Amino acid sequence: MRSADKIKRFFKDAELHIHPDSDERVFEDVLGAQRKTTENAPAVPDNVWRITMKNPLAKLAVAAVLAIVCVTGISLWMGTQSGIALADVLSRIEQVSAYMYQMSMTVAGEIVPGRPVNHEMTATALISQEHGVKMTMETVDPNSGETIPQEMYMLPQKKSMILIMPGHKKYSQVEIDDTMIERMQKQNNDPRAMIKQILECEYKSLGKSTIDGVEVEGFQTTDPSYQAGAFGQVDVKLWVGLDTWLPVRSEIDMWVGDNMHMQGVIFDFQWDVPVDAAEFEPVIPEDYTTLAGGPIKMPPINEENAIQGLKLFAELTGQYPEKLGLMDLMAQMGKLQDSGTPAGEQLREEFKGLDPEERARKILDTMMPIQSLGAFHMLLVQDKKEPAYYGSIVTPEDADQVLLRWKVAENEYRVIFGDLHAETVTAEVLVEYEKALPE
Amino acid sequence: MIEDKLLIFGFKKGRCEALRQIYDKYKVDLLKLAVVLIGDVNTAEDIVHDVFVRFAQSADRIRLTGSLRNYLVTSVINRVRNVLRDKNRHCETSLEGADLLTSSGQGPHQWAVLSERLALLSRALRELPYEQREVICFRMEMDMTFRQIATRQRTSANTVKGRYRYAIEKLRALLNSEVEK
Repeated sequence: MRSADKIKRFFKDAELHIHPDSDERVFEDVLGAQRKTTENAPAVPDNVWRITMKNPLAKLAVAAVLAIVCVTGISLWMGTQSGIALADVLSRIEQVSAYMYQMSMTVAGEIVPGRPVNHEMTATALISQEHGVKMTMETVDPNSGETIPQEMYMLPQKKSMILIMPGHKKYSQVEIDDTMIERMQKQNNDPRAMIKQILECEYKSLGKSTIDGVEVEGFQTTDPSYQAGAFGQVDVKLWVGLDTWLPVRSEIDMWVGDNMHMQGVIFDFQWDVPVDAAEFEPVIPEDYTTLAGGPIKMPPINEENAIQGLKLFAELTGQYPEKLGLMDLMAQMGKLQDSGTPAGEQLREEFKGLDPEERARKILDTMMPIQSLGAFHMLLVQDKKEPAYYGSIVTPEDADQVLLRWKVAENEYRVIFGDLHAETVTAEVLVEYEKALPE
Repeated sequence: MIEDKLLIFGFKKGRCEALRQIYDKYKVDLLKLAVVLIGDVNTAEDIVHDVFVRFAQSADRIRLTGSLRNYLVTSVINRVRNVLRDKNRHCETSLEGADLLTSSGQGPHQWAVLSERLALLSRALRELPYEQREVICFRMEMDMTFRQIATRQRTSANTVKGRYRYAIEKLRALLNSEVEK
């Protein structure tokens, strides 16, 4: 018998017994945990937030917010630093004025607690340095079989993002502020985010291979700091053509927050494609109506609006968000259901009385300032301003505790406190403040 | 698998007997896995206790795409990794170099009682780097392929095979006379 087989047999024969008294005590703990959870669980029919999310127009509103935050995120994730390797690939792409690619992606998990999603999306993207981004998407819900076509435009010159949903004869338009435009313009002078992000991470070569007859070399990163640490586990592979030194295929496997798993493939790159400006002019039929009754104004991403986002979240739920990731914030809105705050109760009541269209608008009105907070935090991470956020331990009652801080100058930090006033303090003072944080 | 699906269905409906059956079905395997991975009975018990408590609290949100056994095993492994990482954080070492916790003896309120053979195996596994220990457990206890292990450990199948080979050689040397019995 081989050594491995003998050890395997030894392994299988190595027994473990259970002490009955201790076993009962442990099971009592387990059972107690189940009972406690069952008793505390809100009855599903009363969950206005979940019911609201079942509404088709509410789904569209969420889709719109998602598209906005994703595009926001994408533009924010485009850094301005370059690395020292893969530089040839970058310089090649910098010479490309327009390109296209296909994308296939699955998203599984929960955006809102209790509302699992499992979507498959295919998309064609056209990116022009001059005109912006046009993405034609089709999302399939495997549970219902429903296909939702969407068109998304990101138009720096018009300072707007537009999402068209032909299946519902709806569209939404988001006005983008100057900070975002500036970011997008930087992005236009800069190539693919993925390469830049890989460059900023620890990565390794996967060696040479062949994809669709093209000789390629692969690069992979599993560095958690990918995209400024906005995700959890990541595994990103990029395959670059040996002849062209341009990307041929990329594969993405990542967790967004704790509950969303995304897997995607980007392929069929076409470089230096001819572009007609008319392709970046959205055609919105006359019988389409806006999702929010008019253009949505994305609040400027700054400290003042971040504080407003924190204030709104606390008013609605009685506490600050535990995390500031864009998807985390959306998931944490589920806390609204259990909120006993006057603002939370009022919002729940308002939801009950609204028709579907008004509900969708209300969701957008509620989410935008809160997502602006997430975008502000992401900006701080992206710009490496050493942000630290303590929403999991600091409450609105902790007036003098550090809630969010970031570096503004050498030895100087900006601090937003539990009562939402802000101060600039020295590093030494900050250390003292952070020592006093609750355990 | 079908039995597990029924158990999960009952568990999600809040049925205590379903939870009891899941607990009874998997507790020994999970304890054994935790013991051989972490090498300390008390810590292993804490980990499995915690896994079951968290599981019991998850009825309204648990969504299984794979098997229940895999879900529980993964929960145990994640906690073992966290414990080792926390322990080694100040040393800034990776899991590869993670040391096992100090083994403690059987106490009067011990939940898991190790056979002599399991105690011996646990001691021998303590001599292996953590990644090798995981490979051995995945292969021996869970009958996973090298490719499946590679996915879990986020490395190549060749690396896993290397880890497995080294681990077997070392275990053979350590357990030489015992495995022949």
